[in-house]
Amino acid sequence: MTSRTASVAALVLAAALALAGCGDSDSGGSGGGDRHGDGLSVGSAYMPQPVSDSMAAGFLVIANAGGEGDKLSSVTSDLAGEVTLHTTVGQAMEQVKNLDIPAHGELVLESGGDHLMFEKLKRKPKEGDTVSLELRFTKSDPIKVEMPVKSATYQPPAAKGSSSHSSHSSHSSHSSHSSTTSHH
Amino acid sequence: MRKKTYTVAALFAAAALTLSGCGGGDSGDSDNTVAEVSTDAGSDKAATVLDKPFEKPDLVLTDTRGKEYDLREATRGRPTLVYFGYTNCPDVCPLTMNNIAVAKKQLAQDKQLSQAEKDSLRVVFVTTDPERDTSAALGKWLKGIDPDVVGLTGSFDTIQAGARTLGISIEAPTKDKDGKVTSMHGTQVIAFSPKTDAGYVLYGEDATVDDYTEDLPALIKGAKP
Repeated sequence: MTSRTASVAALVLAAALALAGCGDSDSGGSGGGDRHGDGLSVGSAYMPQPVSDSMAAGFLVIANAGGEGDKLSSVTSDLAGEVTLHTTVGQAMEQVKNLDIPAHGELVLESGGDHLMFEKLKRKPKEGDTVSLELRFTKSDPIKVEMPVKSATYQPPAAKGSSSHSSHSSHSSHSSHSSTTSHH
Repeated sequence: MRKKTYTVAALFAAAALTLSGCGGGDSGDSDNTVAEVSTDAGSDKAATVLDKPFEKPDLVLTDTRGKEYDLREATRGRPTLVYFGYTNCPDVCPLTMNNIAVAKKQLAQDKQLSQAEKDSLRVVFVTTDPERDTSAALGKWLKGIDPDVVGLTGSFDTIQAGARTLGISIEAPTKDKDGKVTSMHGTQVIAFSPKTDAGYVLYGEDATVDDYTEDLPALIKGAKP
């Protein structure tokens, strides 16, 4: 009985903490990519080694340090005849024409969320390979990206141990809220 | 009493949802918070143990060799993991299946389980896109993951009805005007007990190799992970 009460109390506390944690979505950016002053930068790019030679997925984070929003509009690659942008809606994937990159924010392409889909592969990428991409935007200049191929079960460090299905919004990794409250 | 337990579970689920809903807050600190909550609530990590297990669906489909496969008959008394997905799925489906396959491979090093117990595990992939996922297509795809995985295809209606009995809702693939097909995958992996043949544990998309590696020995014995 006592133990159950304690559990419930802990849960309520946890829920409160979680809510507090949600509040601070500042524009600190956690993409971990290179930054060249204002404008767009790309980080955390990887491709899980695909199962077959017919399609592959790619993930990356595009940070926007500028005050103006942009859109990822198309992608080309040496690997694939076609690279399309996809968003996950419920249990299905939907192809989209472009993906928003908010001002002072990030576009996060991650497993379970938005992703690049590579089709008509010219070869089957293997762990350790690198895939070259060119990202094109509605406003900014194109950016070339070297995307490493990781194991089929690779998890990017930022996503480990937490489900991070919310894209499009940036969260500061070390908010004062979470670091102080977690010791309660 | 049961009622109360259920309420606590619901609260926990709500807290978990709230936490995961936060998404990007992946600092080490917030991870600690999650871990503490989980311990306090008497539950942990990826596995959800069901109070009311699912009956194993009565699915008779076609395997990767084109042979009839009766799920109940073929997996009776065996620990069995079932997932619904499709092969033209670049992200979640291969990740889920690879996570299980890698964990299964790591069982070889487990000293507590007998070889017979390790061999008893069945992993079943049921396509949600049977039109494109023929026996041959499934077989080719699964060969790239783990050739021991049972791949099943058949009529969509049969598959949909089977999934529904497990609380998994899938719709038939749709084709747009450019000929692009959109399919749906299931949301969870269901573990069936070798003791009761009931589906008693669920894993969501976020379950990792480590989660499965940790839990498989218990699942193989029909125990709670």
